[in-house]
Amino acid sequence: MKSSKALFLEVGGILAAVVTALICGFVVILLTSSEPFTAISALLLDPLSSTFNIGTILNKAVPLILTGLALSVVFQSGVFSMGAEGQLYIGAFVGALAAVYLPAMSPWIHFPLVIVCALLGGALFGMIPGVLKAYLNANEIVTTLMLNFVAILTTSYFVNNQLKAASGGGYAKMENISKDILLPKIFPGMAAHAGIIIAVVAVIIVYLLMYKTSIGYELRLVGKNGHFARYGGIATRKVIVVSVMISGALAGLAGIVEVLGIHGTFKENFSASLGFDGIIIALLARNHPVGVLIAALFYAYIQVGAQTMQFGSDMPREVAVIIQVMLVLLVSAQAIFTYIKQRYARSGQKAVK
Amino acid sequence: MVWQTIWGQIVDLSLVAVLLRLMTPILLASLGGLISDIGGVINIGLEGLMLMSAFTSIAVGSSTGNWAVGVLAGVATSVLISYGMGFFSLKMKVDIIITGFAVNIFGSGFTIFLMSKIYGMTGNYSPTGAPRIPVVNIPFIEDIPVLGKLLSGHSLMVWIALLSVAFCMFLIYRTPYGVHLRSVGEAPYAAQSLGIPAKRIQYSALAWSGAFAGLAGAFMSNGLTNMFVKDMTAGTGFLALAVVLLGNRNPIGILLGSLIFGLASALATIVQTVPNSPIPSQFIQMIPYVVTIAALVFFALRNKRRLATMP
Repeated sequence: MKSSKALFLEVGGILAAVVTALICGFVVILLTSSEPFTAISALLLDPLSSTFNIGTILNKAVPLILTGLALSVVFQSGVFSMGAEGQLYIGAFVGALAAVYLPAMSPWIHFPLVIVCALLGGALFGMIPGVLKAYLNANEIVTTLMLNFVAILTTSYFVNNQLKAASGGGYAKMENISKDILLPKIFPGMAAHAGIIIAVVAVIIVYLLMYKTSIGYELRLVGKNGHFARYGGIATRKVIVVSVMISGALAGLAGIVEVLGIHGTFKENFSASLGFDGIIIALLARNHPVGVLIAALFYAYIQVGAQTMQFGSDMPREVAVIIQVMLVLLVSAQAIFTYIKQRYARSGQKAVK
Repeated sequence: MVWQTIWGQIVDLSLVAVLLRLMTPILLASLGGLISDIGGVINIGLEGLMLMSAFTSIAVGSSTGNWAVGVLAGVATSVLISYGMGFFSLKMKVDIIITGFAVNIFGSGFTIFLMSKIYGMTGNYSPTGAPRIPVVNIPFIEDIPVLGKLLSGHSLMVWIALLSVAFCMFLIYRTPYGVHLRSVGEAPYAAQSLGIPAKRIQYSALAWSGAFAGLAGAFMSNGLTNMFVKDMTAGTGFLALAVVLLGNRNPIGILLGSLIFGLASALATIVQTVPNSPIPSQFIQMIPYVVTIAALVFFALRNKRRLATMP
């Protein structure tokens, strides 16, 4: 358990990194925009200016929370999976199959069934790199990157051929999912759909799983020190496979929630790298579920801000990329965090004198 | 229908030309990946580096009217970013995988940013009359029936890529630098204790990978096509990572791996252009990725057996 001061320093460091990254973005805006202050205010204030925009932030945050959770689980076990994107596609695909093709039934049975299918799809697809890593020591970074392409191309094949909606208007997508099992809006008139509730529940479940069960304990122990864990009698290989499968299930959930909440059916290439954004979220959150929730909301806020900025000024929304990249680099710069901790340690000794 | 087209292209040797052309960016990028891999600084940012170079190369090339200046500018940009990667991963201690990941996001987003800021375009930038990397027509040989088609008429970059294979062989296995590079990759602390400047070697390994990724990117915008399209590398940088492992981390293996991947994308192109093809192009595009996973499993099994038979 971290002491509260160490936690305070860590959070402070992350906040400093966030501010620095934002400043880097502002500098670029100042240098390249002819109306920099309009742009900056559109970036920072417009996302909160209407209930519609706030709803959009929540909607954007939902898949980010889920993929962020997915990656935080697998990173905690010391596996550097980059496969959330592929698992998300497979989960969404299997879930959408269940949503479109199962015979008519009560939505109270149908909806959970669709979710379970998505979880299973993601988990089983995640099992492949997990087994390859645990039992053959195959580099998980490469296998997951390759499997992403396999997932995207396979699903693209099916929605372009056998499963293509007749009424799709030339788009490669499945038949529309019945309105009964689509995620409803939380409040009428607001853009936010009920996915945010699912995401918050997932945060709580993952928190309990990681910190209050023996599975979570073993998982974190394997990530901290695999040799020690094995010496302590933990079946490290099984733990690795389980962690990648949990991660895959969460990524699959992200996919199906996106399908049920936003798109209404499975569309080709619908994700636009949500799985990779999840990596950024997990890094920002230091793999903690509650951190994931905060980081995803912040990240979604910046994304919506980038859009309102593109709409309200002469800056393209890609400026947000500068902020994202600096965030990733600064938050993961161990040199900076070690420095902060050392300073703290030194000042602590002074206090003892 | 598809089979006839493929067969026709094999017979008139145009498949060879297409294959070499499509292989070149994969080969160059994976040679870059190889050097950084051997130096122990796995560069997964190849994709981002290629995009930055592709954009710079066509932007500078079309404004100066000189392809060589464009290519050099592209390579220089890519090398510069690689040094940036070195700064963050070696000095600021950011995990090298995360650094590469950041470079990929940066390359994809920043090129779109520049394109819309400089040229006011959001999807693609295709300047009229932008100079291209020239095609090498070999006198006399080009008139010989079969040989002419096999050897002549390829882009200069195809030859540069093939020569780069020999160059990398030499650099890695025949020079003191290569020995240092390999030792730093194997055991950085041991190398450092022998007086090898490990950090500097790793910086240079990243710079090499930047240079090769730069050449690959420049070829994509200035040779393969004559424009910049957003995210035009479309996973070539990730394929290159796969080729490094598929080629068992040596230049000749990488040449073979690139040939396989080049062939797969050449076939996918043919299948996509022939109407009502019975073979889905998605599955042909998938071949390289599946082959890579199979190869990884194969190498892993072999290593396992080797470890098991050790006394």
